[in-house]
Amino acid sequence: MNTEATPIVEIQGLYKRFGDNEVLKGIDLEIAEGEVVCLIGPSGSGKSTLLRCVNLLETPTEGTIAAAGHDMTGPDADLDLARRDIGMVFQHFNLFSHMTILDNLVVPQVRVCKIPKAKAVAEARRLLAEVGIEGKEQAKPSQLSGGQQQRVAIARALAVKPRLMLFDEPTSALDPEIVGEVLSVMKGLAAEGMTMLVVTHEMSFAREVADRVLFLDGGVIVESGPPAEVLSNPKTERARSFLHRVLHPVD
Amino acid sequence: MDAETETLDRRMTPARRQRLARAIQYTVLAAIVVVLAVVADWGRIADSFFQIDIAAAMFPAVWTPFWNTIVYTLLAFVFGMVVGVPIALMRVSAFGPYRWFATGYVEIFRGLPALLVLFLVGFGVPQAFPGIQYPGGVYGQVAIGLGLTSSAYIAESVRAGIQAVPKGQVEAARSLGMSHTRTMITVVLPQALRIVIPPLTNELVMLTKDSSLVFVLGVTTSTMELSKFARNELTANANATPLLVGGLLYLLLTIPLGLLARRLEKRGEPR
Repeated sequence: MNTEATPIVEIQGLYKRFGDNEVLKGIDLEIAEGEVVCLIGPSGSGKSTLLRCVNLLETPTEGTIAAAGHDMTGPDADLDLARRDIGMVFQHFNLFSHMTILDNLVVPQVRVCKIPKAKAVAEARRLLAEVGIEGKEQAKPSQLSGGQQQRVAIARALAVKPRLMLFDEPTSALDPEIVGEVLSVMKGLAAEGMTMLVVTHEMSFAREVADRVLFLDGGVIVESGPPAEVLSNPKTERARSFLHRVLHPVD
Repeated sequence: MDAETETLDRRMTPARRQRLARAIQYTVLAAIVVVLAVVADWGRIADSFFQIDIAAAMFPAVWTPFWNTIVYTLLAFVFGMVVGVPIALMRVSAFGPYRWFATGYVEIFRGLPALLVLFLVGFGVPQAFPGIQYPGGVYGQVAIGLGLTSSAYIAESVRAGIQAVPKGQVEAARSLGMSHTRTMITVVLPQALRIVIPPLTNELVMLTKDSSLVFVLGVTTSTMELSKFARNELTANANATPLLVGGLLYLLLTIPLGLLARRLEKRGEPR
């Protein structure tokens, strides 16, 4: 890893309003290259909105965002160029349903990065093997299980060579027994040094893989620190009761 | 046994009631068929519609108008697609003037009768702009005259298709670095067009029938379409058999279209 001092994500004074509903109320956040950050918090706390602001899928109402070396909120921002450097994985996979699995990885490389077809196909095959999807190249997304689709979606995001990956509840739409296969791919990615910002409800993943856990509530970052600290010894009552509800849902 | 259970026994079960209703409906249907068969003057019907020699005399001359019907329909449909798809894209554009223009276009050409538009193209425009030449003569006039109306319908269908593509597909494309235009071409339109195969087939069938309006442009033997031909034969023979032949030839076009569309739809279905 290089010793670059500038953070790969830098968010300052971020506010986001949907009409009268203020979802983010002043977020300041820096993420260093190679860091894995998990965003946890109750539903409606603004986790997903914060994540979607990083690649400007949501336009901030106020504040500045820099990510992967691009000034995202600047007046001359080239978002199409910037988004190549910021991969995104969605809760519902969002694979291109009319394309084969292989084309899902090939078309973005050819169309976005202007990589020659043959090279793109080879890279697609390599990435599919890496996420453990083999022999499904000519299948359509709907023929795959949710876990397989999500692993393809991760491979697709990696196909355009991002420097930073955003995960928006990547396992929330999966059956419990399938969650593991997606998490293990993400764990592998983290081990390779990828910078990751992950919205998740998987506390064990956060505990094991994250360098830092952020607890969001009511549109502000309430707690921030190493997983052992935030998940085991939350300082605030809000974080304590949230974690209790997540870890002991039956009580 | 008390009074209550007795009434319950007398009431019919749903299954029995359904069987009885079915029996009644079949009986009524059979009665209608029998009455029609007895009342109708079959000799007269056969004389009016089923004169084999008149039908046979229509061949092979009927193939020219039959072929023209296909050509007129396809020309109008191609014009409708070439104009309609961009109009649909303008309808969903973020740029106001595009949206306003497209909305106006659709409202005008959807609202005007195809016959009136055909007259407008065939006679109105040449009068207002003397010396104007349509490419392909009457074929160009038909492509534009029928295509204008068709493009408005196609634009509305395609717009509905575009809006039916899940938002997540667009978000995925944009977050991979695809531009708005690239996303439309590579991700949204291919899915939208698959969604609108049924209404587009509908449009093609409507156009096949609307091609019967072409006679107002004044057609010759070589540019005549099926309806006009059948009508001429009707007058010449003072007999309705040509209408039956013409009708069957229309069905020969439209029914396979429906089958083809159903296959296309199935192919696009997520399995």
